Amino acid sequence: MIKTVFMPARLMMVAATVACALGTSLAQARTLETAYGDVEIEGQPERVVTLYEGALDASLTAGVTPLGAVATRGGDGVADYLGDAADGISIVGTARETNMEAVIAQRPDLILASSWLPREQYELLSRIAPTIVPPSEGFSPEAWKTEARLFGDALDRRSAIDDALKTIENRSQSLAQRQHDGDTGAAPVATVARWMPQGPRVMSSKIFSSGLLAAAGFQVDDGGVVKAGRPHSDPLSLENLSRIDSDWLFLATLNADGEAALDAARQTPAFERLDVVQNDHVVPVDGQLWSSASGPIAAEHVLDDIEAVLDRRDTNE
Amino acid sequence: MTTRVTTPSARTRAPLATLLFALLIGLALVCVASLLYGAGDVGPAEAWSAIHGSGSADARFVIGSLRLPRTLVGIAVGAALGLAGALIQAVARNPLAEPGLLGVSAGSALAVAVALVLGADAATLRVSVAQAGALAGCLFVLAVARVNGVGNDPVRLVLAGAILSGLLGALTSMILLIDQRSADDIRFWIVGSLAGRRLDDLGAILPSLGVALALVIAVARPLAALALGERVAVGLGHRPRWTRLLTVIAAALLVGAATAVAGPIAFVGLVVPFAARALAGPDVRRTLWLSLILGPILVLAADIVSRLLVAPSEMPLGVVTALIGAPVLVAVVRAHRMPAL
Repeated sequence: MIKTVFMPARLMMVAATVACALGTSLAQARTLETAYGDVEIEGQPERVVTLYEGALDASLTAGVTPLGAVATRGGDGVADYLGDAADGISIVGTARETNMEAVIAQRPDLILASSWLPREQYELLSRIAPTIVPPSEGFSPEAWKTEARLFGDALDRRSAIDDALKTIENRSQSLAQRQHDGDTGAAPVATVARWMPQGPRVMSSKIFSSGLLAAAGFQVDDGGVVKAGRPHSDPLSLENLSRIDSDWLFLATLNADGEAALDAARQTPAFERLDVVQNDHVVPVDGQLWSSASGPIAAEHVLDDIEAVLDRRDTNE
Repeated sequence: MTTRVTTPSARTRAPLATLLFALLIGLALVCVASLLYGAGDVGPAEAWSAIHGSGSADARFVIGSLRLPRTLVGIAVGAALGLAGALIQAVARNPLAEPGLLGVSAGSALAVAVALVLGADAATLRVSVAQAGALAGCLFVLAVARVNGVGNDPVRLVLAGAILSGLLGALTSMILLIDQRSADDIRFWIVGSLAGRRLDDLGAILPSLGVALALVIAVARPLAALALGERVAVGLGHRPRWTRLLTVIAAALLVGAATAVAGPIAFVGLVVPFAARALAGPDVRRTLWLSLILGPILVLAADIVSRLLVAPSEMPLGVVTALIGAPVLVAVVRAHRMPAL
């Protein structure tokens, strides 16, 4: 009596195990190389938490809306450029500090982090779910692509990332071509800076948005004031503003209203007299996007800004 | 002024006029150096010819529109902080009292934080916001210490100031934790700097500096009498309560103005009166005069260092004054018998 009930139950368990094994082999149990050693992931993760803006962007590109993400630098929620795509994502910390309890509450099956996640935090997080920390490449304008591919592998949706990266590459190339066609001289020099009342902080030519500017045919110049391995300079002395007097100045602001920030900067006589200001070649851009974000969606938005600059140049000529 | 100085210690020291003359020469030298040296490419030789009206347009712009305004602002800020420090230490009869104890710096930091949260931009933030905050912080401290109590008991003022500064600081931190963007903006305001200040900013604080100076002239003699003791002061026809209250208000106006235009600058208000007493003895009338000149010397010297240390960038002035001020204070404390108050 007992046996007759038990036998089918055991058979079913065996069948279930086989099916399970089949399912995982179809979704590929995969081993990923991360900063803290190899991490094995099975199946297609569904409950994802991203602790890095680049990971959030890559995850959305891959078609996975994370349950939790960290706030953008200098903001209370995720970066504005993500728009509606990021609706319903819970905030589980800031770029500097992760709220472990909030992460656990999401019961994630995959955590995507930044390459600078400290080992202590990694140890804690990896007990909650497999945690992917990209190997650090230092400051490199191409690092975000490698990271996005790694996140794509972790999510088991690599092809979506590859497609997005391909699209971005093609688009930057055609922008670079257009840049070249419109201008017979040398590539125009561009500088990215954040305005502060006592002087601007110049962004490194090694960050994400600088890489895209270079890909779109600009020559990115940080005025020689950014120390190696740093994302931006100390506030530059107002006496040295000529170092940011490039052909184009992209003025990153954390305020929603970029034009207001530009007006504020123009109240400083030393800024107002720069050629780039007099030529109306200062472009206010979203600081969350240009100086904090990375990833395929962010790249498209940065390229939008760059394309608008080329439109402006072509209509003026 | 000099003929009235009759305290015993004063006779053994250099006459006030000689000291003042020497310090004024020192101040003039620092002012010239402040025009000649900067973080940019305009060197002393080019700057010198620009001062005389020749030189390139760039050099003349750097001298006239960048270095001259910050030198003038530095003089005003240094004088205000030095004077306020001397006043506060005299009224509290405590050499460790400093203007920050009035809640002025904490009050203006809170006001700036609130303004930033409400959507103001650090680049356009008007001086008046910080100044209103400074006065509000001071009135807050006075209210807690009970205005009456200030007159009777300086210790009460020091305690109330310490507590209130802590509370206002905590409120500021709380606001900044909630609003990350403001936290990013205020980081640069909170260390203090003379860079990028305009002459308009200086104009905005002149009225309160003027009122404060009038108050200082009015309270200088009663304050000196008070140092001889409550009874002596009353016997000489002064009213100690009013003297203390007016002194505190004058100091608040001075620090409020300085903080509003340059942000909180550490140590100047503490170190300058010390140095002044070491040179001129404890008589507050002499100390006030010397602080008025020593303050700008210290602030301008620190500002020149701040431009040169990390060129082509600049170090915040508040960091440099703390780096210079702390060793100076240690040297004063170790080298002399502490001048009594």
